Amino acid sequence: MMAREKKLQVKDLKVSFKTINGKVQAVRNISFDLYKGETLAIVGESGSGKSVTNRAILGILAPNAIVESGEVIYDGKDLLKITEDEFYHIRGDKISMIFQDPLSSLNPIVKIGKQMTEAMLLKGKANQKENKSMLNSYIKALEGYLNKAKNVGRLPADKDINSMLNIYKSILLKGSKLEEAYYSAKNSASNGIKDVSDLIFMLEKNSVKDLAGDVKEIVELAKASVHPYVVDEAVVAPVVEEVKQGFQMAKRGDNQPLIDALKKLLAIFTEGDNKAKISSFAKAYYDMHGDNSISLDLPLEQLNEKLEQYLENKFMKDFTEYTVAALRTADDDMVETRTAAINYINEMLAKFEADGDMVDNAKLSAFEKKSAELVEKGINPLCTYKVSPAYIYKTSVEEAIRVYHASKKNNEAEAARYAAESKKYEKLVASGKTPDWKVVPANIVDLSLNLANIRAIAERVLADFQYSMDNVPDFVKEAENFTDKMQVYAAGAVQQITKVIAKNRAIKLMEEVGIAEPRRRYNQYPFEFSGGMRQRIVIAIALSADPDVLICDEPTTALDVTIQSQILELINNIKKARNVSVIFITHDLGVVANMADRVAVMYAGKIVEIGTADEIFYEPAHPYTWALLSSMPDLDTKEKLDSIPGTPPNMIYPPVGDAFADRNRYAVAMDYKAQPPMFKISDSHYAATWLLHPQAPKVDPPKSVLDRINRMKARMEEQEAAGKEE
Amino acid sequence: MQDEVLLKVEHLCQYFGPTKAVDDVSFEVKRGEVFGLVGESGCGKTTTGRSIIKLYDITGGNVYFRGRRICAGTKSYKDAIVEARKRYADACKDKELSPDEVAKIKAETQAEIADQKLQMKKAIADQKNGDKIYAKELCQQVKDEYEAKIAAANNQEELQAIKAEYAVALRKAKKQKFITRIQMIYQDPIASLDPRMTVEEIIAEGLRIQGEKDKKVIREKVYNVLEMVGLVKEHATRFPHEFSGGQRQRIGVARSVIMGPEMIIADEPVSALDVSIQAQVINLLNELREKMGLTILFIAHDLSVVKYFSDRIGVMYYGKMVELAPSDELFLNPMHPYTKSLLSAVPLPDPQYEKKRQRIEYKPLEAHDYSEDKPTFREVKPGHFVMCNQAEYDKIIMELK
Repeated sequence: MMAREKKLQVKDLKVSFKTINGKVQAVRNISFDLYKGETLAIVGESGSGKSVTNRAILGILAPNAIVESGEVIYDGKDLLKITEDEFYHIRGDKISMIFQDPLSSLNPIVKIGKQMTEAMLLKGKANQKENKSMLNSYIKALEGYLNKAKNVGRLPADKDINSMLNIYKSILLKGSKLEEAYYSAKNSASNGIKDVSDLIFMLEKNSVKDLAGDVKEIVELAKASVHPYVVDEAVVAPVVEEVKQGFQMAKRGDNQPLIDALKKLLAIFTEGDNKAKISSFAKAYYDMHGDNSISLDLPLEQLNEKLEQYLENKFMKDFTEYTVAALRTADDDMVETRTAAINYINEMLAKFEADGDMVDNAKLSAFEKKSAELVEKGINPLCTYKVSPAYIYKTSVEEAIRVYHASKKNNEAEAARYAAESKKYEKLVASGKTPDWKVVPANIVDLSLNLANIRAIAERVLADFQYSMDNVPDFVKEAENFTDKMQVYAAGAVQQITKVIAKNRAIKLMEEVGIAEPRRRYNQYPFEFSGGMRQRIVIAIALSADPDVLICDEPTTALDVTIQSQILELINNIKKARNVSVIFITHDLGVVANMADRVAVMYAGKIVEIGTADEIFYEPAHPYTWALLSSMPDLDTKEKLDSIPGTPPNMIYPPVGDAFADRNRYAVAMDYKAQPPMFKISDSHYAATWLLHPQAPKVDPPKSVLDRINRMKARMEEQEAAGKEE
Repeated sequence: MQDEVLLKVEHLCQYFGPTKAVDDVSFEVKRGEVFGLVGESGCGKTTTGRSIIKLYDITGGNVYFRGRRICAGTKSYKDAIVEARKRYADACKDKELSPDEVAKIKAETQAEIADQKLQMKKAIADQKNGDKIYAKELCQQVKDEYEAKIAAANNQEELQAIKAEYAVALRKAKKQKFITRIQMIYQDPIASLDPRMTVEEIIAEGLRIQGEKDKKVIREKVYNVLEMVGLVKEHATRFPHEFSGGQRQRIGVARSVIMGPEMIIADEPVSALDVSIQAQVINLLNELREKMGLTILFIAHDLSVVKYFSDRIGVMYYGKMVELAPSDELFLNPMHPYTKSLLSAVPLPDPQYEKKRQRIEYKPLEAHDYSEDKPTFREVKPGHFVMCNQAEYDKIIMELK
C-alpha cells in the first residue's frame, strides 16, 4: 500500500468515567490512524465507546471522564495534552463534528442565518490573523537561514536578501488576491448557470414561486461574475438590462421575453465558467516588476505559459536555489542541536535506568525542563510538514510527568480509603450484619506504566532525530513543498470574510444541503424547521468552516432514506472536493458500505476488527461482525433474523477475557481466559479473536452471513456481465 | 391468511388548517397481514396511523374496523352541500330556464342537501359515540348471557356467585372501548414510558382503566405478557430507566399486547434502536403475530426492514398514497417515479454495490404533467395500485404487456 499522509493518529487511547458505582472503562486501549481524504467508519452498539472516542479527539468529554493514557496526534500536536486556548484553533475549524441530535445542537432563540454565519465571521478574522503570522514567521526564519548561508559561503555575498524576500512576499499576497477575485467571479458564474437554468425550467412549467427574488439574485450574480478573465462587463450589461425588462413583461403575464433573455445570460455564464484560469502569481509578478515585453492580449494558454516562464526565469529560479541553500544550512544546524538533545536524553535515561527508575520529583522536573528545551532547539523552523514527535515532546512529557505525580498521590489516597472501608465492612460482618453495600475496589495505578510512558515519549523523539540525521532529505523537493505551503498561508492571509460574503456562503451551503428557498429560510428560527431540515442546518454549519477532519456522529440516523441518501452523497462529494478525512460513526451497515473506505468495528470499548470496507463485508473474521451482519435484514432476507442474545457487559467490571465471549456462539475456552490480541489477516485487515489463532478450531461464519456474501458476489458478477454486454 | 378485511380506510383526509397532512388516502388491511407504510418524514404516514386510532378528529373520509365505522369525517358531505347550493344559485341566475325548471332544481338540491345533512349527522354520531354504542351492545350481550344463567341457577349460593360475577362483567363491559381493539407502539421507547411508574404499573394501566380491579388477575396477566415479550417477572417492579433500549421497547410492546388487541399500529418501533436490538424487536413482533394472529400496520422509513416484515406496502408522498402493492412486487416492479426514487436511495450492506448505486431524483414537475388530467389511484395489475392519470396509466399497461 502506498504510504499516505496520516491526518490523525489515535494511539492507545484509554478513557474511563468516574461514577458512584466505580470506574466505568468506556474506551480501552484503542489505536487507529486516519489517512488524508479517507472515510473511516466506526461501527458498534450504543455504549461501545464510539462516541466517547470521538469526543476525546475533540476534547469535549464529560467532566467526569478521565483520559487514562494515550495520544491523539493531529498536525504535530497531541490533542489530549494541549491547552484549551490552543484547542480553539482546532475545534470546529480543523476538526468539525456533526452531532446526533439536531434538536440540542441549535440555539432555539437565535435565527438560523445568524447561527450559520457566526462561526464563519469569527473564524474568518482569526484565520486571517493566524495565516498572516504563520507566513511572517516562516519568511523570517527563511531570512535568518539565508543570512547564515551567506555567512558560511553557500551563497554569494552580494545578493540583497531583504529585497528578494520582500518581492517574494508581495508576489504571494498580490497573487492570492488575484486568485481570490478570479474564483469569486467564477463561482458567481457557475452558481449563475444553476440558478438561471432552474428558473428557465420553472418559467416553462409556469410554477415560479418568488420571481422577483430569483431575478434579483440572478442580476446580483451577473454583476459579481464580471472579471477580466471570466465575464466581460460590456457583454453582460445589456443582457442584464434585457432580463430586467423581461421581468417587467413577465409580471404582466408574458414569460417569453424573460426566458429568451435568460437563455442569453446562460450562454454568457457558461462561456465564462469554461474559460481557462489565469496564472495568478505569474501575473502578479509581471504586473509589479514586468518590463512590458509580453502582450496581455494573447490567448490565455499562451499568455499563461509566457508569464510563468517570465516569473521562473526572472525570479523563481534564483529563489528556489536560495531556498535550497537555506534549507541545507538549517539541516546542518539541526545536526548539531539534535546531537546535543540525543546525547543529553540518552545520558539521563541511562542514569534513570541505573537508579532503578526510582526518580524523585526534583530530578524528573529538571529532566523535563532541560530536555524540552533541547528538543525544541532541534525542531527545524523551516519544516512545514509537522509529523515529528518532537513537536509534541514538551506537552507530552509534561503531561506524562504530571500524571505520574498525580498517580503517586492517588495511589496513597486510594489505599487508605480501601483500608478504611474494608475495616468498616469487616466490623459490620463481625457484628453479624449483612451490609447492603460493597467495598469499591482500590483504584491503584501502575506507576511503572507511567514511567514507561515517559521513557517511550523520549525514545520516540530520539529515534526520530536519529532517523532524520541518517537520512538526508531531497532539498529541491523540500523547497517546492515550502513554496506550496507559503501559497496556502498567503491565500489564507488575504481571504476576508465580510457579512455579505458570509451570508452568501451560508445560503449556498443551505442550498447544497438541500434546503428549499434558502433566502427565506435564512431568517427563520430553528423551531420552524422539521427534524430533517434541522439536521441539514447542523451539517451545513459543520461544513462552513471547511474542516480538515469531519467527525459525523450518526448524522443520518434520524432521517429518512431519501434525505439520508442526499446527505451521504453531499458528505461524499465534499470529501472528494476538499480532500477531507471523515470519521463516520453509525450502526447502519448499509450506510457504512456506502461511505467507508475502511471500517472499525467496536465492542465494549475495544476495536475488535478493522479493515477496508471490502474486507469487512466480504471476509468478516470476528464473530461480532458476523452477528452484526446477520442481524440486519437486506432486501433479499427471508429467514428469521439472528439477533445477538443478551446485552453488552458491565464495564465497571470488564471481563477478563474477550468481552463478547458471553454472547458469542463461537466462543472458545481461551476467550474466557485472556483478551485476544489483534491478529493480522492482511496488511490492512486485523481482528481480535482467538478463532484466528493457529491452534484454534476452524470455524465458518454463520450460514446467513455466507448466504449474504454469496448473494453479493452473484449480484456483482451479474452487474459485471451486464456491463460487458453494454 | 384469511381474506377478511379487518381495517378499511376510505378517502381519509386529515387537514391541519391549510396543511393537508393526509389527503384522500384509501387502503384495506386484511386480518393477519402486516401492512407497511413508507415515505419520507412529513409525508403523513404517522398522521394516518394516529388518525386511525382517533388521536385526531379526521377531516374527511371513513375508517371501518371489523365492518364498524370508527372514524368519520364531514368534509365530503360539506363539499356536497356547497356544491348543491351553488348549483341552485347558478340555476336562479340562469335566465334561459323557466320558473318550473328552477323549482324542479330547487326541490332536487334541497332533497340532496337534506340527505347529506342526515349523513353528516350520522357520521358525527359515529365519530363521537361509536364507543358508547359498542359498550351498550356489549352490556346487552352480558345481560343476555347472565340472565339466562340466573334463570338456570339451582340454589341460592350459586345465584349469589353468578350475580357477583355478573356485576363485575357488566362494569367491565361498560368501560370497554371499541378503539382499544387497536393498539399502538410508539417510536421512542424512552419518551413513551412514564419514568415514575414501575413496569407493572405501566403495563397494567390499560387494564385498570377498563375496570379490572382484581390485583391477582392483573399481576398474572402482567407476568404472562412479560414472559411473552422475552422479559422475566422480576422486571415487573423495576423502573423504565433501569432497562436498555431494546428492553424498553419490549415493555412498550407488552403494554399494547396485554389489551388483547386484534391490530397493532407500530409507528417506527425500531428506528431508535441499535441494529442488534432491532433484530430482537422485529423477531419478537413476528413471534407475537404468529402466536396471537395479530394484524400489524407497520410504519417505518427503513425500507429493508419494511420489506422484510410486511406482506403489502403502501408508499406515501406528501399526504397522498402514490403506490400500493405486495412487498415483493413493489420492490421488483416499482411503477411510480417516487417509489423508484425511494428504492434507489436504500443503502445495502454491500460496498461494491454501493459504489455503483445511482440515486434517482424525483422531481414531480418533470415527472408528471397533471395540468389537464388529474391523477387518480388505479389498479394496474391485480393488487398493484399506482397514482396516475390516463396517459400514464396507458403507458404502464403498454409496458406491462
